[in-house]
Amino acid sequence: MNESFVQKWKSQVKKGTLAFIVLNLLKDNEFYGYELIEQIKTHTQIEIAEGTLYPLMNRLKNEGLVASKWVEQTSGIPRKYYTLTATGEATLLQMQNFWSDLETSINKLS
Amino acid sequence: MKAIEFTTPEAQQLYTAYFLRVKRTISPLNKADQEELLMEINSHIYEGLQGNPTSNELEKITQIIEQLGAPEEVLKPLVAEKKLEQATRTFNPLDVVKALILNLSNGISYIIFALLYLALFGFIFLIGAKLLHPKSVGLFFKNGRFHLLGTRNPDSLQKLGLTEVLGHWFIPTMLCSSVVLYFFITLLLRLKKKVIN
Repeated sequence: MNESFVQKWKSQVKKGTLAFIVLNLLKDNEFYGYELIEQIKTHTQIEIAEGTLYPLMNRLKNEGLVASKWVEQTSGIPRKYYTLTATGEATLLQMQNFWSDLETSINKLS
Repeated sequence: MKAIEFTTPEAQQLYTAYFLRVKRTISPLNKADQEELLMEINSHIYEGLQGNPTSNELEKITQIIEQLGAPEEVLKPLVAEKKLEQATRTFNPLDVVKALILNLSNGISYIIFALLYLALFGFIFLIGAKLLHPKSVGLFFKNGRFHLLGTRNPDSLQKLGLTEVLGHWFIPTMLCSSVVLYFFITLLLRLKKKVIN
C-alpha cells in the first residue's frame, strides 16, 4: 500500500468536504466557532488548522448559506453563533443527494 | 473588543503577539471586517481557555495558538477573496493590483490577467514616452503591415523601412485602448468570479 498517497488523498477529501460537514452540523443546531470545531473533531476524525474554519464561515455567509449573530456573554467576550439559512438548507439537501448518489456509484464500482 | 487578561506575563505576551500577526494579516480588509474577525478569534481563544482545567494558562494559550495555525497562512484565503470582491466592486486600480497579487497563486488564469494588465501599463507607458520622444514612439508599419508598437531609434526608421501610421492620433488612440482594455479586464474578473462561485 502507498501510505503517503492515501494520506494525501484523505487530506484532499477532508478539505473538500469541510463545508459539507459544517452545513450538516448546523442543520439542527446553532453553534459558535469554537464549538463548531469541537463538533467537527468529535464527529469526524478531521484535524484541521482551526483558523481555517473562519475564512470558510465567511465564505458560507457571503454565499447566503449561513447567518450569524453575536450573543453577549457575562464574561464580556461575546460569541458569534451560526445558523443555517433557508438557502443553506436547500443547498445542503442538494449536496446530500449528490453525496448519496456518489456513494451508490462508488459502491457499485468496488 | 475586550482583550483577554492573563495572570502570567508570558501567556499575555503570546496572546498579544498572536493578535498582532492576525492584525497584520488582515490589514487589507476594511475596518468592519477586521473588527469582526478579531472579535471572533478573540472569542475562540477565550472559549479555548475555559476548557481543560488541568493545564495552566501558558500551556493552554500555547496549544490554542498552535491549533489555530499561522494567521498568515490560514487567513490568507479570506484576505484574497475579500480583495477580489472589493476590486470588482470599485474598479479601483490599486485594489485590482492587490487582488491580483494575492490571487496569483490561485491559478494560471490570473497569470493571463497579469499579462493583460502588463499590456495596459504598456499602453500608458507609451503615452508618456510619446510625449518625451515624439519621433521615436509610435505604431510602425513595414510594407503596409503591422511591425511594432513601441519605440525605435528615429535614425534607423528609414533604414528598416518603417513608417509611423498614427501621427497625432497616437496618444488619443492609446488612451482609448487603455480605457477599453481596463474595463474589459475588470469585466473578465467579474465574470471569472461568477464562474467560480
